[in-house]
Amino acid sequence: MQLKRPPSPLHLGLMAASCALLSGTARAQSADDAEQPLQIDADLLYYKENAGRVQTIEPVVSLKKDFGDQRLLDGTLTLDSLSGATPNGAIPARTPQTFASPSSTSLIPEPGHKTTLYTIAPGDLPQDPHFKEQRVAGDLDWSQPIGLDNTLSYGGHASTEHDFESVGAHAGLSHDFNEKNTTLSAGVNEEYDRIHAHGGNPVPGSDYMLYEKESSQTKTVTGGLIGVTQVMRRNWLMELNYAYDHSQGYLTDPYRIISVADATGAVTGYRYESRPENRTRQSLYWVNKLALGPTTLDLSYRRGKDSWSIGSDTVDAKLRIDLGSGMYVEPHARWYHQSAADFYNLYLSETAPAPNFMSADPRLAAFAATTLGIKFGVTTGRNGELSLRLEQYEQRPTDQSSALPQLQGLDLNPNLKATIVQLSWHTEY
Amino acid sequence: MRVVCAAPGGASPPPHAPEFEVAPREGGIVAVCFVAMASPCELLLETADAHAAGEAGRIAAQEAWRIEAKFSRYRPESIVSVINRSRGHAVVVDGETAALIDYAAQCHELSEGLFDITSGVLRRCWTFDGSDRLPEAAAVAALLPLIGFEKVRWQAPRITLPAEMEIDFGGIGKEYAVDRVLGLVAARFAGAALVNFGGDLAANCAPSAAPWQVGVKRPDTEREARLLLELSRGGLATSGDTYRFLLREGVRYGHILDPRSGWPVRDTPRSVTVAAASCVEAGMLATFAMLQGSGAESFLEEQGVRYWCLR
Repeated sequence: MQLKRPPSPLHLGLMAASCALLSGTARAQSADDAEQPLQIDADLLYYKENAGRVQTIEPVVSLKKDFGDQRLLDGTLTLDSLSGATPNGAIPARTPQTFASPSSTSLIPEPGHKTTLYTIAPGDLPQDPHFKEQRVAGDLDWSQPIGLDNTLSYGGHASTEHDFESVGAHAGLSHDFNEKNTTLSAGVNEEYDRIHAHGGNPVPGSDYMLYEKESSQTKTVTGGLIGVTQVMRRNWLMELNYAYDHSQGYLTDPYRIISVADATGAVTGYRYESRPENRTRQSLYWVNKLALGPTTLDLSYRRGKDSWSIGSDTVDAKLRIDLGSGMYVEPHARWYHQSAADFYNLYLSETAPAPNFMSADPRLAAFAATTLGIKFGVTTGRNGELSLRLEQYEQRPTDQSSALPQLQGLDLNPNLKATIVQLSWHTEY
Repeated sequence: MRVVCAAPGGASPPPHAPEFEVAPREGGIVAVCFVAMASPCELLLETADAHAAGEAGRIAAQEAWRIEAKFSRYRPESIVSVINRSRGHAVVVDGETAALIDYAAQCHELSEGLFDITSGVLRRCWTFDGSDRLPEAAAVAALLPLIGFEKVRWQAPRITLPAEMEIDFGGIGKEYAVDRVLGLVAARFAGAALVNFGGDLAANCAPSAAPWQVGVKRPDTEREARLLLELSRGGLATSGDTYRFLLREGVRYGHILDPRSGWPVRDTPRSVTVAAASCVEAGMLATFAMLQGSGAESFLEEQGVRYWCLR
């Protein structure tokens, strides 16, 4: 058989490698100084809620550089762009309802003040149509081994929006033992936030019609985490984490109001919501990673509990199926349930005295949610990967109606549906 | 001068004694024979000087034994055994070992993961003895988490192998020894030389009379060499599954295992012989081709090399 073709790229690569091997140890020595590749991850996330509500476009770029010996620098830059209608917390009513967008400095149009009003038709969920937000966030992490069995990591993050700034720092230490089959890890984090809402921060719990605003407010979050990762069997990895954090300061949502209704259910007014100035959260997170041949299964359960009486359960399962030729498909299912915060209400009763704390934020309500999704991935080039994730999220509140005559037949806290599309690209240089 | 290669993958000769024999052959060729790496090894030299041939033979045998002692996974004191016993701790290796690991890493990359020096753990459940005893699918699957060169932390001179994983230089070590021995001999010796370690060989130039004639034995019989090839310079290597297979319900399971599934590559040729610039290059091309299964021939066509496939 005669030589028919020039050497292929693979053959050229092999020729070069073979020459390097046989020419002595030149390459091995130069590898000492060789730089590790730069890993680049680029993501584009699109999130859209049903019924013309919020949509987000979020590009994320992440760079990871290995400086050798597992010393890693990891940086992430995120840009967020939110727009669409956002529920303001008020319930639908039998009569038209008029609200001011938060950037208004007065409820009543008058000289020297800016007033943007919007009116909601009877029976519709009150939503602010002018909602728009942009966020820039950056995160930088460093990790390095200490001795053979320990890894130290620390880093910081910062983000800014028109009405919110956040800076934080964290540090963690992990220790491997039992022939690296067991890893213990612990970490602490601290965050400082400043909230200066459009048009000022409302006085929590105050009457909406009085339009009382304050200057900027702050909050701090202090947290810690301990965890253990254990290789159970050759194809089974288990991880258990306990996390605790404490938030203190202005925890109220400055844009959220709550309706006040009379004994018939007719809406007679609104109050700005008001949340306690302290919140303690604890969670227990249990993850199992199983390799079933080329197929892998990720199964996790999370139990959360906070000092506002919100208890939550999350069950999450991901099955990654190798399709060969560098392709995989990953179905994903998630189920979530939470109980309501003790100060959550769909609306306040006019006849009862106003409580200290109140909120109609659907995120503090009792609800169940499911996420169903699928991800397709394909390897590109040497170490690259391109993937597409499609997910459908549905949130179903437990309390959605009232028996009061004026409110009968109205959906006071409608189901939420959202679609998530994420395009991810990984490459190395 | 005809060189008859041992059938690839043939029955192992007895453990070698550290000695070698010098025997004159026809056509002014002197053969130095010894056993290393469980293979009959020979060095053929075109010379009339028996003393010089003996000296070259000593250099050749010592180099082969040195490489075997240093890299054999069967030798507890070898660097490979030290790495395999490291249980997740980093091991600092010398330059030669680093060059071999680098080579293995590049081959892993070039073959898109098909060639993997961590796949040897599959021997725990696969014994290719010609029987029909296939392992349980679950036993094979249980080994997969221990396979994958990408799980190895390698930055010369430091290698960290996750606990229970193993590496070996099967498919590299013997070919490397052939090229190394030829290099050492050629540096000290003027005439034509050919090194043949159990069928993997390399030559520096043709003897004055005619090119080296290399006979490749038909793998499944002890009959006459089936292929007769001419070789002037460069390497020639054969990969095959002669005696190393399982047969169940009419399906032949060859000993070439796919590290991604843990199962034998289907429809591999009985043997693949490749000629290339060096023995390591020829050997790796033959191994890559076997890993392509039914696509072995078209793979080799694409590489633009001389090859001989036997099905």
